[in-house]
Amino acid sequence: MTVTNPTAKRPKAARSKQSQTTTTALLFLAPFLITTLIFFFYAFARAIYYSFTDFNLFNTPKLIGIKPYVDVLADPSFRRALANSLIFAIVTTTLQTVFSLLMAVALNNKIRGMAFFRSAWYMPSITSSVVITLIFLWLFQRRGIANYLITQWQAYQPLILTFLGVLLVVQIVQVLWERSRRLPASWIDPALAAVSALIALVVVFVLNSTGVVGVREVAPYDVQYFADRWISIGGVRVLSIPLLVIIIQNTFTTVPTLMLFFLAGLQSIPGSLYEAADIDGATPFQKLMNVTVPMLRPVTFYVVTVGLIGTMQMFDQVAVIGSAAPQDTLITLAFYVYTNTFKNGAAPVNMASAAAIILALIILSMVFVQRKFFVAPEAN
Amino acid sequence: MTAIQAERRAAASGNDAWLTRRRWARAGWLYVFMLVMSFFFLGPFLMGLLSSMKDNPNEYPPKVIIPQLTAQYVSRAYNLGIQGGNSGWNGGLTPGRQVTFDVSVRSPADAPQDAPAVSLFPYQPVSLVAIARQAQAKDYAKLNTVQVSQSGDTKVYRTTVAYPSLTAQTGEVIRAKLTTPDSDVKAQLPSGEIVKVTLDTPAAQEKQYELSESQKVELVKAGGNYYLRGPLFERTPMQVDVQRGQSIVDSTLPPSDKQNFDRSFAFRNVTPGILGYTFNNYRRAFNETMDPKSGRSLFFSWVLNSFLYAFLRVASAVLFCSLAGYALARFEFPGKNLIFLGAVLFVQMVPTQVNLVSNYVLLKDLHLLNLWGLWFNGLVAAGGVFLMKQFFEGMPKELEESASIDGAGPFTTFWQVMLPQAGPALIALAITQFQGAWNDFFWPLVLLRQNTDFTLTVGLSSFSQLYGGQGDYGLILAGAILSAIPVIIVFIIFQRYFVDTGSDSAVKG
Repeated sequence: MTVTNPTAKRPKAARSKQSQTTTTALLFLAPFLITTLIFFFYAFARAIYYSFTDFNLFNTPKLIGIKPYVDVLADPSFRRALANSLIFAIVTTTLQTVFSLLMAVALNNKIRGMAFFRSAWYMPSITSSVVITLIFLWLFQRRGIANYLITQWQAYQPLILTFLGVLLVVQIVQVLWERSRRLPASWIDPALAAVSALIALVVVFVLNSTGVVGVREVAPYDVQYFADRWISIGGVRVLSIPLLVIIIQNTFTTVPTLMLFFLAGLQSIPGSLYEAADIDGATPFQKLMNVTVPMLRPVTFYVVTVGLIGTMQMFDQVAVIGSAAPQDTLITLAFYVYTNTFKNGAAPVNMASAAAIILALIILSMVFVQRKFFVAPEAN
Repeated sequence: MTAIQAERRAAASGNDAWLTRRRWARAGWLYVFMLVMSFFFLGPFLMGLLSSMKDNPNEYPPKVIIPQLTAQYVSRAYNLGIQGGNSGWNGGLTPGRQVTFDVSVRSPADAPQDAPAVSLFPYQPVSLVAIARQAQAKDYAKLNTVQVSQSGDTKVYRTTVAYPSLTAQTGEVIRAKLTTPDSDVKAQLPSGEIVKVTLDTPAAQEKQYELSESQKVELVKAGGNYYLRGPLFERTPMQVDVQRGQSIVDSTLPPSDKQNFDRSFAFRNVTPGILGYTFNNYRRAFNETMDPKSGRSLFFSWVLNSFLYAFLRVASAVLFCSLAGYALARFEFPGKNLIFLGAVLFVQMVPTQVNLVSNYVLLKDLHLLNLWGLWFNGLVAAGGVFLMKQFFEGMPKELEESASIDGAGPFTTFWQVMLPQAGPALIALAITQFQGAWNDFFWPLVLLRQNTDFTLTVGLSSFSQLYGGQGDYGLILAGAILSAIPVIIVFIIFQRYFVDTGSDSAVKG
């Protein structure tokens, strides 16, 4: 007993030092914790509470059980919003991940002026979604730049196709010739391709000036994008054309950022892996699938998670386009929550809360499923 | 990596020239690819920028070379601005000045040989604020068209737009703004003094009841009295019509609009100045949202609000996120993991729409549906806390240990030792917060209820609701470009940090 006496004193001192540290830590964290408690946890709890009441912003909420959820699930515009959100999230996340990965692979080169190009491409990612949506609204008008470019493509199609055809033929001939000289030329040999492109250009020029092929007269391409038009599969409206434009816009704005993530990931892959693959005689495609993609798994996990969380909450674009497109074509869960909260008169805030909770559950389960079935990155 | 393979084989065969050629070609293709992609990613912005300067951004087919950026026409616009308003930049039409504008009309022998009919037409903007009807140049200026030369069947006509002063008095010329009239016409001088305006000619008295409040005018001070010289006009819109068979082949400035089978040309402004010509839509964004009473431009308020909001967000993030991040990185205390998982990670996964109702109701009850409420709502960003925690965890512990040996308390250690070391991370945090706040749309849309409180993003979307229906994209594009400029400037200055932080956090996961 006498022996433990002096040691019993030490934990006490340690405990007081520990409690002092805890106090300091909580003091440091206070602004963060207080605002998070008020504007997040309290708000979250209230949203759950409201979603079981008859709250409409003006009355005293009264519990009514799961009726709001039943109402929401029966609401056709909620179902449309759910379908739109899911399709948008899945298609956009897939597109942006694939395109940014491919671009990063293509650009994984240390060449002069790379920094300039990277900065230039970053532009769509730094400007606000409102600005880009407004510009896209303008580009995709009935007589807008997008339709103009499609018209030009149709008009110049004969020339472009001739160019590509000649390019292909000349390239094949050249490669075969080089190979007959026992040089290891691949089918996409860049030097030969440059020669082929030049020859094809000359051929097209000659054919054009002799009038063999020429620019076609075509009527202006006249599609109205922000209209009630749908891509249907088996009679089910899957994807609306306005939503497709937003998918294009969102992919356009996110690809550069995600590409930089992938580039950083690519540069951390040891070159020895590729050399080993070379020795085993792997094709470029095999190397992409068997070395690059698995090694990029942590980055891919991050990109897909962030992509899904972001795209499921898509709101800005819908709100900015507003009445320029029929509401059914664009409504998303986030927009559904917003419109129901701010409906004129007695707003179905309980339904809005229920929809928000459903949205949160979907996102959380998406993240959970992803963590479960795809290898999560080691936490730092 | 066929490259390596091929290079190895080629090297084995000792064909160096073949290899070099190949490497050059490969670099060439890569540059071509990068240029094409740059065009793709920058194209929409550049096209938007270009079109925001056009008379009609919806013109079809869209032109790339436009008179607004052609030296010849810009210098003519400058000259016309000097003639009309004594200002090559701002242009406008002021009393006592006259402007000459040439139009060439081709009249073949079998067509009428008449001179074109030239007239001024009114311009009244549509706006988010109530703008009283402003005086129109057409009611004050006089036109005179004469033929000045002829070559072949093309005749050149010179139209003189003369705006005579409404008073014969001479003296110091002062610009003023009319105030609420009572029995007299009154004006507020730039000094703030309100004076009675004397209308000393029949021509001036005739206009007495047509001039509305907040009209900008020019006065002349003579013998203690202020005499009305006349209202000031920002624009002088002019229209030229020719007969069937005739055609307009040239004019001092190209027309803004052609109608009636190209026999009717409209010139938006024959006294533009450079601002009124090339940057007309940008000027409109500010001027046409001007509340005439307060003299404050709505668009300008939005810009200020956006800057204020971004500044507040950056300031609070730099302080509070680094405090919280430091605590999570360095202190051991019960509940630390829970706080990290719950308040930092979980918060970032839950959609903001969940908090919409509660936060709206809460801030409404506190009468904080304004910029301050918006600020409190996003005071400490969880993402920022995460960033700072990662950063402080990567710093050596020796620094703090030596500080604590010196007897410094935790706050002193943080403030004087750790924070000064955190420069790069703080810059990265500040940039992401600035960008986030500047581009924030959802919460400003929810919480800001008055159009004077709007931030730029919300203001722009209200622009598009008002002007988009009419297809007036010039104004929308100009607003969009203006609102993108600050972020682009920040980006250009700090781009190193943009790119670095993004990829870092990605690799760390």
